[in-house]
Amino acid sequence: MSKSTKTTITRRTAIKTVAASALAVTCAPAFFVRNAWAEKAIGNFPVKGKEVVFGFNVPQTGAYADEGADELRAYKLAVDHLNNGGGMLGTLDPCALDGNGVLGKKVSYVVGDTQTNPDAARTSARRMVERDKVIMFGGGSSSAVAIAQQYLAQEMGVVFMCGLTHSNDTTGKDRRRYGFRHFYNAYMTGKALGPVLAETYGSDRRAFHLTADYTWGHTQYESIKSFTEAEGWTTVNNIMTPLGNTDYSQFLTAVLNSDADVVVLNHYGKDMVNSLTQAVQFGMREMQKNGKQMQVVVPLFSRLMAKGAGPSNIDGVFGTANWNWALRDTGSQAFVKSFEREYGFPPSQAAQTCYVQTLLYADACQRAGTFYPPEVIKALEGHTFTGAGPGESFMRAGDHQCFHDVLVVQGQGMAARQGDFDFLRVYKQVPRDQVSYPVDTFPGDLGPYKPA
Amino acid sequence: MMTAARFSWPREGLVLGGFAALVLAMPLWLPWIGGYEALATKIVIWAIFALGFDILLGFTAYLSFGHAAFFGTSAYITGLMLKHASTSIIWALFASAVGTLVLAFILGGLILRRSGIYFSILSLAFAQMLHAAALSIFARWTGGDNGLTMDTAPELLGMHMEGQPMFYFAALLLIAGFVAARQIKRSPLGLMLQAVKENHMRLEYTGVNVMGYKIAAYVISAVYAGVAGSLMVIYEPYVATKFLNWSTSGEVVIMSVIGGVNTLVGPMLGAGFMLYFENVVQGLIGAQWKLVLGLIFVLVVIFLPGGFVDLWRRLRRRFGPAPDRRDNVPDAPGSLLEQREARYKAIEEEA
Repeated sequence: MSKSTKTTITRRTAIKTVAASALAVTCAPAFFVRNAWAEKAIGNFPVKGKEVVFGFNVPQTGAYADEGADELRAYKLAVDHLNNGGGMLGTLDPCALDGNGVLGKKVSYVVGDTQTNPDAARTSARRMVERDKVIMFGGGSSSAVAIAQQYLAQEMGVVFMCGLTHSNDTTGKDRRRYGFRHFYNAYMTGKALGPVLAETYGSDRRAFHLTADYTWGHTQYESIKSFTEAEGWTTVNNIMTPLGNTDYSQFLTAVLNSDADVVVLNHYGKDMVNSLTQAVQFGMREMQKNGKQMQVVVPLFSRLMAKGAGPSNIDGVFGTANWNWALRDTGSQAFVKSFEREYGFPPSQAAQTCYVQTLLYADACQRAGTFYPPEVIKALEGHTFTGAGPGESFMRAGDHQCFHDVLVVQGQGMAARQGDFDFLRVYKQVPRDQVSYPVDTFPGDLGPYKPA
Repeated sequence: MMTAARFSWPREGLVLGGFAALVLAMPLWLPWIGGYEALATKIVIWAIFALGFDILLGFTAYLSFGHAAFFGTSAYITGLMLKHASTSIIWALFASAVGTLVLAFILGGLILRRSGIYFSILSLAFAQMLHAAALSIFARWTGGDNGLTMDTAPELLGMHMEGQPMFYFAALLLIAGFVAARQIKRSPLGLMLQAVKENHMRLEYTGVNVMGYKIAAYVISAVYAGVAGSLMVIYEPYVATKFLNWSTSGEVVIMSVIGGVNTLVGPMLGAGFMLYFENVVQGLIGAQWKLVLGLIFVLVVIFLPGGFVDLWRRLRRRFGPAPDRRDNVPDAPGSLLEQREARYKAIEEEA
């Protein structure tokens, strides 16, 4: 400060000016920056720097490591397409993405291991949120893991895109505002499969269930039971089998000793491979019961499981799938082509759902014009899109469950196989309307847009 | 008591002060090596668990393979309290401490009658029974396989317990736990427990109520596990069924062994290492991290049977100053026994 006497600025005016400009400078962003009042920091918003980080939390170890590896391949592909274009970016409609990152920022990613364990998954997700500053995270197999992460997402204000989770609870009683599921669920499996089973095997069948003893198994059993009974079937019995069981002979003996003529295996992964193989060894697929050919049903089917059980065991066995690489629609084909070019084999349904979710999230940010989580969530809620698989898909606002066509598939025997990956034949593409259900079928509450 | 004779407050103050500084400053130094605040909190919580485990395994050599029973039960009690009763963590901590105490007395009374491998198997069996119960008959309360989910924000006297406040709360409990454990180790109780480890039969023949001491160690160690389990849920309002599973029991055993049993510091070091590896190094190594971790276990067990703490001792023996006089070894040169004999000799000669 010069002490020139010529200046007319007194100390008082100087202080006033300084105070006024300080006030103006502090408040300026509130008036000139878009939504500055509304968009307070939530989670890792605002995004700093030229990159935006996604977190991919997949099972790299444990029972679902195969699925996890495939999910990771899909995620890497999705990031590549977001940054450089390609894949479903050309087919997704509407699509605000231009293959040049998201909102002008390049997408980078970090990877974690859920170990197929909810606690480990949460720790790993926290690392991504706290240290790596991810704006969203996704992935995982197993519903327990997905649900645990969904609650964490809500707590921390970071959007979670569920990977492979088929339990009704994920978007039922445990639905969360910050969690979204593109994958279908056990209820939709029941709705799709029930009519097909009745058409093929008749409406007077007697079913015996073997069910993996955890949430997913329980909800699937409930769903299949109610939809087959609606078709006129009788449920003879259900046995809960321990998760990770290897010997199913005692349970299968109980099936043989009953008057059931259909056995439903509510198993997944290695459990299904074991139970189905042993059922075949018991001769169940050649047996006559009640004057009918005995049948085996595996409601949730996947290529990896079909491969494990072997073509002769799965030949003709019914199940459902979210997606199959043999689908001919443009979205699926664009994804399969780029996946095969990158990795040399077709993607699994786990890969497809993870890929689509990542694009959906990125697209929602682009459409919302911000990474601000509440706005992104609103952009995802009630969003309708095509070109990410067969038909039109709809992300319901009420429970964050995505509805789209679901496949009824049949195991492919050795004779009919075309190529090394042709394990499942698409028997029927069940339209979205037939698998949809009212939002209040399962009670639940999404919670607030802004975490406490 | 020889150890008591060596005790001095300045030295103790230095040890405790150094420990407290290291723990409290963890959010500052952990990020330098790729860590983050949540990891610091988790390390502190697991360190409490491992510290308590050392009171049983280190002091008495009773290898419990079922400490998840206390960790998990306490976690569930805390979760249920926070969800249904009150978001104040005082009540949750209190209820889970009481619950753990009761459970520890019951289980301890049942399984401490056996020792060695039988004790280990029994503890494992009871813990797995609790795990199975949580998944089946208690599934309505525990949420079964989905774990206990909740939407609560735990608070302490109106302060929201997350992030830094939570870390410092847990860190203070760990420091308090460490002080207590060192006191126990020096106390007559601690010496009795070491005696149980040396030869519990002989101790029994001298008329000591060995069962009482064993139960005391078991219950103290269970309370540590309970506090850790409770903190885990306060920190992350979610209870995984894994908390009750044998894998949790196994983890704390591994932490203790690779860190160094019966050193108090060792198991905590082991806990820090395990969590650091599982969460930071894992990200660098990728899918093969468990293989590398397994290899590290093997190497530690083969070449460093005393754990990480042993490495420090060996380095000091090789490069450091001359080792302390081993006062507690009767026939070591310069031991008290020898000094006393020398004195007697001098007296005799004078006479």
